[in-house]
Amino acid sequence: MPDHSLLEMKGIEIEFPGVKALDKVDFSVNAGEIHALLGENGAGKSTLIKCLTGVHHMDAGTILFDGKEIRPTSPQEAFSMGISTVYQEINLCPNLTVAENIFVGRQPMKGGMINWKEINRRAKELMSRFHMDIDVTRPLNNYSTAIQQMVSIARAVDIDAKILILDEPTSSLDDNEVQLLFNVMRELKAEGMGIIFITHFLDQIFAVSDRMTILRNGTLVGTYNTTDITKLQLVTLMIGKDIDVIFNLKRAHVDPNAPEMLRTENLGTPGQIQNVNLSMKKGELLGFAGLLGSGRTETAELIFGAVPATEGTEDINGKRVSIKKPLDAIKAKLAFCPEDRKRDGIIGDLSIRENIALALQARRGFLHPISRQEQNELADKYIKLLSIATPDAEKKIGDLSGGNQQKVILARWMATQPDLLILDEPTRGIDVGAKAEIQRLMLEMCNDGVSVIFISSELEEIIRCSNRIIVMRDGKKVGEVKGEECTQQTLLSIIAEGEQEGASA
Amino acid sequence: MKKKSFNLSGVMQSKITWAVVAELLILLVCFIIRPDFFSIKYQPATGMLYGSLIDILNRSAEITIIAMGMTLVIALGGTDLSVGSLVALSGALALKFLRWDVLVYNTPGDYTVKPFILVILVPLAVCTLMGMFNGFMISRIGMQPIIATLILMVCGRGIAQIVTNGKQFTTLYSPFRVIGQGSLFFLPMPIIITAVVVIGVSLFVRKTAFGTMVESVGINPSASRLSGIDSKKIIMIVFALTAFLSAISGLITASRVMSNDSNNFGINFEMDAILAVVIGGTNMSGGKFSLAGTVIGSIIIRTIVTFVYYFGIVSEATMAFKALIIIVVIVLQSEPVRKKMSKFGKKKVTGGVQHA
Repeated sequence: MPDHSLLEMKGIEIEFPGVKALDKVDFSVNAGEIHALLGENGAGKSTLIKCLTGVHHMDAGTILFDGKEIRPTSPQEAFSMGISTVYQEINLCPNLTVAENIFVGRQPMKGGMINWKEINRRAKELMSRFHMDIDVTRPLNNYSTAIQQMVSIARAVDIDAKILILDEPTSSLDDNEVQLLFNVMRELKAEGMGIIFITHFLDQIFAVSDRMTILRNGTLVGTYNTTDITKLQLVTLMIGKDIDVIFNLKRAHVDPNAPEMLRTENLGTPGQIQNVNLSMKKGELLGFAGLLGSGRTETAELIFGAVPATEGTEDINGKRVSIKKPLDAIKAKLAFCPEDRKRDGIIGDLSIRENIALALQARRGFLHPISRQEQNELADKYIKLLSIATPDAEKKIGDLSGGNQQKVILARWMATQPDLLILDEPTRGIDVGAKAEIQRLMLEMCNDGVSVIFISSELEEIIRCSNRIIVMRDGKKVGEVKGEECTQQTLLSIIAEGEQEGASA
Repeated sequence: MKKKSFNLSGVMQSKITWAVVAELLILLVCFIIRPDFFSIKYQPATGMLYGSLIDILNRSAEITIIAMGMTLVIALGGTDLSVGSLVALSGALALKFLRWDVLVYNTPGDYTVKPFILVILVPLAVCTLMGMFNGFMISRIGMQPIIATLILMVCGRGIAQIVTNGKQFTTLYSPFRVIGQGSLFFLPMPIIITAVVVIGVSLFVRKTAFGTMVESVGINPSASRLSGIDSKKIIMIVFALTAFLSAISGLITASRVMSNDSNNFGINFEMDAILAVVIGGTNMSGGKFSLAGTVIGSIIIRTIVTFVYYFGIVSEATMAFKALIIIVVIVLQSEPVRKKMSKFGKKKVTGGVQHA
């Protein structure tokens, strides 16, 4: 280990109204190191990073960067010192070209005019360094999330960054794309860059990081070499509880004589997805597995009417329904937690209380308001039931951590007392503890007679929870397995079958 | 114990607080220059109270009424530019029905009025339909509100001209005079109408879930739709309501002068209404709104104008003077200033910062 760290944060303390967000936390990064920063939601990872990038101002502690004490007061300042951040949500202009995005704000000039040739040439060069041979003159939104992520990393790296912070960069990438990102990370590491890697995917930490620092409730648990620690130890350290307690989940019991809850026949919309044929029992947990873009989300949206079906039939509890918009679905006792929590889930500036009451209120119509007292009762009930970490129900949902936001959205739907709950990637981007809690809730609801459709990219959790798993590829159902009989191997082989033809898409 | 300082900080951070402070400051200046500014006298001849403060409230009525609707429009993340034209249209329609006899009699006075109820209802109904047209263009066709309402802003005055054949009518019909010049409970009628509108809209918005839904759609339309909120209906109602309120405002305007003037009625009303909303603390990008703030905003605007008249500042300078004070108000309310002022409490952290 080199005798001096590239970055050293010592005794960092920060207090927000009512909570000590960080308490005497030490953190260091060496040059040429990938250092994972771990902890549950609300453990203080983001707060620590925001101290480093000047978003928050710490109450105590010092930051040494390259041997000198720094105290950035704004992200711009940190950025100009060589501390670059790539956020989880892609933070670029989708309608500008790739090259424009990389160089926006610092365009090379020639005689007072922007030198487009130079921009495009350098952008091309930069992207090919990341093994991405793409047309940099096309608008960014022509490309997949993965490529957009690469562009934002390229942008961050191009400015002589010494420290690169990657905040959940992999949460919307598939496996191949993750590998690509890892290669780039390793190359940057070899060039002597210090990389701070924040993620909830434990496998990825072991695959790519050199050291890891674990936070819990705003305090430092410790810093470990990746080779010295096992996954089990890691999880135990993160949540501070024995893992068995958390992972002791029992699959829901489905009565073989239970009535049919949902039946679709040839449901579809041309151009989106077609010929969806599903049948589900009351209290069943049906898992949807498959790669991103395999049609899992589209199927869910079709059932819920987020995208109205133009053909086929849908029956709920044996009754034919016509679902043209989400409100129809909600009236038919369906509920849908969408994949993109930020874009489609939370109403950021409204309180937790208002967010929880929203769907129930929408079903009643605005002329039949839920009284303030009822709203308070609902909010208190679900804050307690889902252990949402908040001082009170009036806090803005936008100020909560990802896992807690997800719980509020879940509460919004539980409040409508649905018969069928569709959860699209409910555990993405949230920590192990919250994940286990959401899984537990799902299973409890099944036991209470609610049917659940569970979409996830993580095979492990799909297998652990589902009664039945439907595997999708290219908008079609390609297999169906019983949960008990399923292994990761079986699922993988069904997903991968015919992968060659699907890979080009 | 900690809670108290936190609350104070919250109050100091509220935009409404600063709007009220600004209004009080302007009034204070008025008081220093002319101590009789606050005097209110009763005039037995008309049965009304008179005074600068009453005048401010009276004259702010048109903008306050429109701005109630505009607040909701802005909370949805839009703007409505057509309100001024609808004021003109409403006035034209009212006078058209008041002077149905214009072909027979040239001078107002001896005429046969159509049922008075039509004089009121037709402008309200037509303008509401116009507002639904706005709502339709926005929610169904998917036009941006500023563009969709620009159509009516431009052609609304034309329609008003067509209604009256390009003529300006005058009337002496006394029931119509009551709207803009009458009184109730010693107060000028426009103040009473404004109070009814403000209370009515506030109750509608806050006693039902309509307000929350407007905010929800304004903050995140996609999530609102998936939660079952019918945003098309919400948009439709908000634009129809705003147009309806513009029509009321138009009736008051016309009644004040007992005439119609398609070229000059409601000029710049859209700007004043938007300004009132913004001064009142509602963000132009949509979301949380405050009707009370808007009322204060509207009163501030009118106080400035009264101030200008009252102190004999040359009328050419009115606009510049108005702009000056508004800049001061907006700066007082701006994020950095409010933050500095709220240093009593613990510092607050900004979220969602990113390098651009």
